[in-house]
Amino acid sequence: MKHLKTGLVSAIAALAVTAGAVQAETVEFMNWVSAEETGKEKMTAMADSFKEATGNEVDLQGYAWGDMNKNYVLRARSKTLPNVGQSQGRLLPIIAGIPEMQDFNEIFGKDKLAEMFPASFLAAGEIDGKQLGLPWIGGTIGWVANQEVLDAAGITEMPETVEEFKAALIQVRDNVPNSVPLGLATKNHNSIVLDYITWLWTFGGDVMVDGKPAVNSPEAVAALSFLTDAVSERLAAPEIDRPDARRLFAQGATAFYLDAPLARTFARKFSGRDMEIDPAVKPIKAPVLNAGDDPVSVSWGHLIVAFGDEAPAADSPAMQWVMHLLSNEQLVGYAVNQSVLPTTNAALESEEVKADTYLTEWAAATVAPRRNTIASMEKGAEVSAVIGEEFQAAILGQKTAEEAANDMQSRLEGVLAE
Amino acid sequence: MSSDATSLPDGTEFRPSPHARRGGLKAGDARFGVMLLLPALLAFGLIVLSPFIQALAMSFYKYTISTPEPVFVGLKNYGKLLSDPTVRASFVTTAIYVFFTTSFSITLGLAWAIILNEPFKGRTAIRGLSLIPWIMPATVSAFIYGWIFNSRYGLLNAIGKELGLIEYPVAWLADPTGAMVAVVMTKVWLSIPLFMSFFLAGLQSMDREQIEAARVDGAGNWHVLKDHIFPHLRPVFLVVVVLGMIGNLQQFDSIYAMTGGGPVRATSVLSVEVYRRAFEQWDIGMAATVGVLWVATILPPAYFYLRQLMKGAE
Repeated sequence: MKHLKTGLVSAIAALAVTAGAVQAETVEFMNWVSAEETGKEKMTAMADSFKEATGNEVDLQGYAWGDMNKNYVLRARSKTLPNVGQSQGRLLPIIAGIPEMQDFNEIFGKDKLAEMFPASFLAAGEIDGKQLGLPWIGGTIGWVANQEVLDAAGITEMPETVEEFKAALIQVRDNVPNSVPLGLATKNHNSIVLDYITWLWTFGGDVMVDGKPAVNSPEAVAALSFLTDAVSERLAAPEIDRPDARRLFAQGATAFYLDAPLARTFARKFSGRDMEIDPAVKPIKAPVLNAGDDPVSVSWGHLIVAFGDEAPAADSPAMQWVMHLLSNEQLVGYAVNQSVLPTTNAALESEEVKADTYLTEWAAATVAPRRNTIASMEKGAEVSAVIGEEFQAAILGQKTAEEAANDMQSRLEGVLAE
Repeated sequence: MSSDATSLPDGTEFRPSPHARRGGLKAGDARFGVMLLLPALLAFGLIVLSPFIQALAMSFYKYTISTPEPVFVGLKNYGKLLSDPTVRASFVTTAIYVFFTTSFSITLGLAWAIILNEPFKGRTAIRGLSLIPWIMPATVSAFIYGWIFNSRYGLLNAIGKELGLIEYPVAWLADPTGAMVAVVMTKVWLSIPLFMSFFLAGLQSMDREQIEAARVDGAGNWHVLKDHIFPHLRPVFLVVVVLGMIGNLQQFDSIYAMTGGGPVRATSVLSVEVYRRAFEQWDIGMAATVGVLWVATILPPAYFYLRQLMKGAE
């Protein structure tokens, strides 16, 4: 009898262990942070702490930022989508058509999400009433200046108007050898579009007015002429993409460029000086055409998305991982490490975030950001390609700014009429 | 005469063995040949033919990221593409790229083969080293050349500035001609070893006494090349030109890694156009249509090549 009891206890224990082993699951998390040097370590630490807390593993599937959407689409067609993924706010509309995308309102409930996030951040992940993305980190795309380069050029005050901005660029060109004063994106269509619309807004224009292209308006031509002149006067250079601008900025060759608040983290990494470079990285207000105009900036943020044939339970390992990423313990450290704002109310209220003057300066410099409407258009990729090509044709001198603007207009009309 | 009996030419009848194969030895050989061919045919069907048929079918559909299911549109994609000036420009760009890469690869490959056919110390080592560009992945070569042509840190600008030829760095890859020169140079560098190997094999089968006799008769280098080497290498030329054209028509990785098809569309050959349509504009139907047209451009040289091979086999 004693042996029987011992046998039963052992069998139950073995079953319990086996059941425990079966319950431990692996969550697939497709993201670009773990593929980048600047975030790899932090991401691995978050996966390790998740395993410690829940016993579940996270398979960090890192891809280059530019390959994310392509991989989502290909994996959707081969039915191999991950449980959870990362997406850029402005690129969410491209993958929103994937049928396996899950609505977080159904998983966690709308009220809980409204309590957890500020409405402005939550809106970045909402499409047609569905919460397809949960905000992870957020902020804006705005101007950043290298104080050391400005000092070397003898610039004592930050430029506020476009005229002052150009004068500062000329001063940098003439006083800092081998410099590219403005880190204007001139190589990659997706990067070009961001710089182009920022300048277009600065000059008072817009890509679409009343639902129609308006890229050959006088304001648009003036913006394109300004950028064309900047290249021909060696204030900016052809063959520059955002990563190039980040490196030039970190190496003291570029005075100004457009980026997300991540700019400080890139500067730390690419300068090889880590936090020593922090005082040189200054968020500044966008130059305005006329004194008193509102400085422009673009909404920006990273989102968390979920996939599955049906909505996962809120306590499923995949959703536990989502909540782990958004917990104060993980999110605050991650956001500060990446030099960006966290998106939950609790994290925004944390002492660590409030004490980071860079983040508060960034927020002050980029008030009232606008949405990049091109990315959310159904034909956003084609529109970006047309803008990128005509922009390049203008800055390379193949066309005048006016010719390029007119060609851009007629090509966009053609693309959008289809 | 019974139905299964066979007559010999002298009129005598014989009855084949009941175990004899139907159709005789010839048919048996043919069946064995088919069996040998079967694995290759299966692989071809699965890896090449089936995707091509799918792509061909897809070219009659509208299938974008916003259409969950493909929508049949008939020949609309073809009509749209053929009236699109950017696609027509891609055909011209492809023709320029193929012409220059093929001609330079052949000329330099032949020149290098002639040099390596001459006896000199260290020839074997140099022959081996010459194969390095061929062994190296095309993307790695593209990055090497990308750095050579880089406007800021590039070797070309450093030399130019050192020699006082340029005052400011030149953005070679941002210039349509510079970008085309760079992608052509990269492909030529990649192709020379292969072409050199073909020509070297051809040259080694040549009777050296024939050249020595020509030299005794007073023939110079040009005449030796024109009257002896070129005629001897004619079959090699045929294979190399056609294979080179097919390979260059298919080239994608080095071009995309160096220029992404730009600046503007200066290096946007057909392979890049397919990629852009499929993975940048998410228009799979149009990408398939460009792909079908691209295959159509590869078919004539491929047909010519196969015909030459069959002729050789006969």
